[in-house]
Amino acid sequence: MTGAGGEPVRVRLWDPLLRVYHWLLAFFVIAAWLLGQFGPLNMTLHFWCGYIVGGLLVFRLVWGLGGPRPARFTHFVTGPRKVIAYGRGIFRREPSHWPGHNPLGALSVIAMLLVLVAQVVTGLISDPDDFINVGPLAGQVSRATSTAAVGWHNLGTWLILILVLLHVGMILYYRFWKREDLVRPMITGWKMVRRED
Amino acid sequence: MRLILAAAILLTPVAALAQDDAQRDALKARQGYMTAVATNMGPLAAMAKGDLDYDEALATFHARNLAALGNYEVEMHFLPGTAQGEVEGSHALPAAWQNLDDVRAKHNDFTAAAAAAPEGVKGGREQVAAVVQSLGGTCKACHDQYRAK
Ligand code: HEC
Ligand code: HEM
Repeated sequence: MTGAGGEPVRVRLWDPLLRVYHWLLAFFVIAAWLLGQFGPLNMTLHFWCGYIVGGLLVFRLVWGLGGPRPARFTHFVTGPRKVIAYGRGIFRREPSHWPGHNPLGALSVIAMLLVLVAQVVTGLISDPDDFINVGPLAGQVSRATSTAAVGWHNLGTWLILILVLLHVGMILYYRFWKREDLVRPMITGWKMVRRED
Repeated sequence: MRLILAAAILLTPVAALAQDDAQRDALKARQGYMTAVATNMGPLAAMAKGDLDYDEALATFHARNLAALGNYEVEMHFLPGTAQGEVEGSHALPAAWQNLDDVRAKHNDFTAAAAAAPEGVKGGREQVAAVVQSLGGTCKACHDQYRAK
């Protein structure tokens, strides 16, 4: 994927909707997380944050299937060979200029999306036996499932924390070690990338 | 001497069994108590949501049961050796035994909310909803800390 001459060019990589989606997702996942962990006994606000995250995930699915190229799953879901090839350069002290989610970062994107989908689903069917914070679909599943869902939802809490910290940590690593700012492109859409093949 | 030894050997497992029984019973009683509380919460929560029409007599009936259950001393069911991992089927966290005073306090919050329930549910659906909110908060506060997920 080295472009002609390898010279990076400035392109409009991320479309406006994807950028708005990204920051809304970040905000509402963090809000849901903090409300779940430290919020009031009545979890109505937490539920609403969760519903919004669910809606954003539906948008992401649609965008991943039929959105602009860099947003599509087919554009960034790759096989192990590409991941390993990319991984070889991870310590190199230079920007990746990758036109989109790089093969390694894509793994983290997929993991975050899957865990968030699971988090929303388990939340919807959770019954924590307090009669005030019962997931709206808890009645549609067996009692054993709605009780177990509380445990899965709690497990998801920690998976999300780990994945989000990894995500933020890698962005800092790119910024300070590889000298590549990945945040600005997610705000303005513009990024210096190698031309695509 | 040999008799005493033989008796001791014979009786040790019996004593251990009796001990297990006490713990299994405490667990059954604890979970049964919670089930009784939940069974009385169910109709009130359904009424609060509107799944069940408001019925003052029915609401008062369950609220009185909750008030009675609230007066119950739960400590006896927090027998040592009945935490999760110590007896099969327990979902009570060991932290409960390290903070029995706090468990007591959380139970007292439930007692207070339940004591106000029989009068509180009178009037209509909204009143029931307010009672369910205040009761439910006390369940969550204790489960968050002392019940395994
Ligand atoms: C003082 C603490 C405390 C309060 C208050 C409390 N619970 Fe519990 N509850 C527990 C603990 C501890 C367990 C786990 C018991 C076990 O498995 O050993 C539990 C378990 C349960 C269970 C599952 C029982 C089973 O069969 O496994 C239900 C249902 C339940 N609680 C309902 C309620 C409801 C409804 C309320 C409020 C109206 C409530 N609890 C208030 C501590 C509390
Ligand atoms: C991105 C989405 C979500 C995140 C990050 C999230 C996070 C959390 C966190 C951190 C907790 C506290 C965990 C604990 O202490 O056990 C929690 C609890 C809970 N969440 Fe969510 N959640 C999300 C979505 C949802 C949704 C969509 C629902 C349902 C409508 C939901 C329902 C619940 C319930 C019922 C609890 C209480 C469980 C308990 O009392 O132990 N969540 N969530």
